[in-house]
Amino acid sequence: MSLELWIGMLIAAVGTYLIRLLPLLWMQRRLTRSGENGPVDALPKWLVILGPMMIAAVLGVSLVPRTADAAGWLATLIGLGVTLAIWWRTRSLGWPVMGGVLTFGVVVIVARSLM
Amino acid sequence: MSDIGGVRRLHGWLTGVREAIPLLGGYIPVAISFGLISAQAGFSTAETLAISALIYAGASQFLFVGMIASGSPLWLTVAMTLLINVRHVVYAPNIAPWLPKSRWWPWLMHGLTDQIFALAHSRLPQLSESQRVGWFFGAAMLAWLSWIAGSLLGAVAGEWLTSRWPLLGEVMPFALPALFLVLIVPRFTSRRWAAALSVSVAAALVCTLVGLTNIGIPLAAACGALCFYMVRLPETLGTDKGTTKERRPS
Repeated sequence: MSLELWIGMLIAAVGTYLIRLLPLLWMQRRLTRSGENGPVDALPKWLVILGPMMIAAVLGVSLVPRTADAAGWLATLIGLGVTLAIWWRTRSLGWPVMGGVLTFGVVVIVARSLM
Repeated sequence: MSDIGGVRRLHGWLTGVREAIPLLGGYIPVAISFGLISAQAGFSTAETLAISALIYAGASQFLFVGMIASGSPLWLTVAMTLLINVRHVVYAPNIAPWLPKSRWWPWLMHGLTDQIFALAHSRLPQLSESQRVGWFFGAAMLAWLSWIAGSLLGAVAGEWLTSRWPLLGEVMPFALPALFLVLIVPRFTSRRWAAALSVSVAAALVCTLVGLTNIGIPLAAACGALCFYMVRLPETLGTDKGTTKERRPS
């Protein structure tokens, strides 16, 4: 990379860092001012709503399989079902993910061999 | 007393590392792809690593190397990179109430990616205050290092890896939707929340299918929030009445 390109990359890096940092500093000041009302009250309501919506959106974006053919979609559907079923039984984080990934892999392999 | 505090911090750190392990299934294959594309675009291994370590934002990194390789003006490349990352502005305020005082937080914000936010937003309220800095450090550090390691692997041996184990690159990323599903399901506490979250998931899926992945996240989240405010459904799934102060949507 040329010097110009390095500078551009550093600006992008610092800018991205500030996008993550500055809202924290703003919120921490707001929390300090809110004092005894408690931290949750200091959050604007729209922000309380938007947090879970962002996670749901990240889920939606990640649902599309790498190879978006019939086998990929079938594996996604069954994988999500198994993930949900294991979560329902264990209420844990790791086991449902592991079970979901294994199921996804098995369904992809089986479906591709049959199609 | 300090020994007990140290043990708690270490326990928090280890918990963070353990709970971030599912993220690796999504991070490493994508990072390998980035390393490979970056190398093919003419960036050296050191430059690829610098981009991954310093920008550390998946989609915008692909855009950065792609635009540079295609000869786009540098100012436009930087502007587009930052524009894609603007969605991160809502992350830190959402977890701020759960962050105890520590001089480490400003530095740790470098690790606040989409995935770490989703994990932290669910887990921090459940941890004791003494464990939270350690937990975030462990989770964010594992994710960051795996992203850098994956980029290195992709830059050095990406072509060989993807040709030898093509299925692995397809199966492992499923860890991400599985993890996000587990994080979001407990939030379906009422019909109102269920409808709004479903709208958000569906909108993001549609955006991705039509090629609007980057704008898809903020756009879909806005659709979900709009649905939450506009649609009034009977609260039959649970006792959650929306944005009551005693039950933050967590």
